[in-house]
Amino acid sequence: MAVPLDSVLENDWLFPVAQCIHILSFALSIGTITLVDLCLLGVAFPREAAPQLLRSTGLWTLVGLVLIVFSGLTLFATDPDQYYLNSAFQVKIGCLVVAILLNYTIHRKVAKSASGSAADKFVAISSIALWIGVIFSGLFIGFA
Amino acid sequence: MAVTSFAHWLETRMWAEAFAGSVLLYPIVLATHLTCIAFFGGMILVTNLRLLGYGFAGRSAGDLIRKLRWWKRAGFVIMATCGALLAGSEAGRYSVNPYFWTKLTLLALLGVHGMAFRRSVYGNVEELDGAGIMPVRAKLAAALSLLLWTGVVCSGRMIGYYQNVGEYLVSVQSSVHSEIHAVFKSKYFSRACKDLSRP
Repeated sequence: MAVPLDSVLENDWLFPVAQCIHILSFALSIGTITLVDLCLLGVAFPREAAPQLLRSTGLWTLVGLVLIVFSGLTLFATDPDQYYLNSAFQVKIGCLVVAILLNYTIHRKVAKSASGSAADKFVAISSIALWIGVIFSGLFIGFA
Repeated sequence: MAVTSFAHWLETRMWAEAFAGSVLLYPIVLATHLTCIAFFGGMILVTNLRLLGYGFAGRSAGDLIRKLRWWKRAGFVIMATCGALLAGSEAGRYSVNPYFWTKLTLLALLGVHGMAFRRSVYGNVEELDGAGIMPVRAKLAAALSLLLWTGVVCSGRMIGYYQNVGEYLVSVQSSVHSEIHAVFKSKYFSRACKDLSRP
C-alpha cells in the first residue's frame, strides 16, 4: 500500500493527470447517460429509440464510470482527511451513490420499456439533476 | 505588448472586476463550464466513436450527426460564454499562461478541422450512410476530433496549475513573511526578550 500512496504524494504530475482523466471519463459516462435521458424526455431522439440507445451506450457508460472511480480514488488518496471532512465532498458522494443506483435500477428499467409516461420523464429529470449535482458539488470541494 | 495592455483593459472592466470579486459566481460559472463538458462533450464523444465504428451500430452515423448538431452548437455557445467570463476576469494571469494559449490554439485547430471536414464528412451525411463501410476520411476526422478535444480538456485543466515564476516568488515571499511575523508575535518570543533584557 505504501508504494502507490507515496508515489501519488511525491509525484507533481499524478494529481493533475488524474484530474484530466476524471473530467474526460465523466464526459463519457455522464454524457451517455444524459443522452438516454434526453431521449426519454422525447427531445433529440424519438422516445421509442430509448431501448436501442441504452444498449449502444451501456458499455461506454460503464467504462467511463470505472475510470471515474479509479481516478477519483487516486485524487482522494492524496489527502483523505481534506476530502471526507469537506461538506461539498459529502454531498458529492451522496449524489453519486444515488445517481449510480438510480441509473442501474429504475433508469435502466424505464429506458428499456420507454412507455413515454410522466413517470419516465420524472426519472429522466431526476437523473439529469443528480448528475448536475455531482458535478457542482465536486467542483465546490475546492471552494468549500 | 498589445496582448498585455488588452489583458489589462479586459480585466479592469466593471463586469470582470465584479465577477472576479464574487465568491459564489466564479465557482458556479466554472461548474456550468464543466457540466457542458459532460453533456455536450459526451455528444461529441458519441458521434466520433460511432464514426470510428466503436459501438452504436444500431443507429446510423449520419442520423447521430444530424440529431445532435444543434445540441452541440447550443452547448458550445454556453461553454464558450462561461469560458470567456472565466478567462476575461483574470485576463492578466491568463495572458502569461502557456496552457491557456495551448487550449486556444487547439480550439482554433478544431475550427479549421470543422471547416476542412464539413463538405466531405459532417455536412455529407447521406453519402456517409449510403457507403457500405465508413470512409477513411470520416474515420480520420473522428480520430482528429477526439485527439483535439482531449487536448482542449487537459490543457484547460492545467491552466489552474501554472504558476508564473514571479507570481510564485511573491507567494513564497508572503508565506515566509507571515512565518517570521508569527515568530515575532508569539508569547515565547516576547518572554525571551524580557529574559534577555533583565539585568
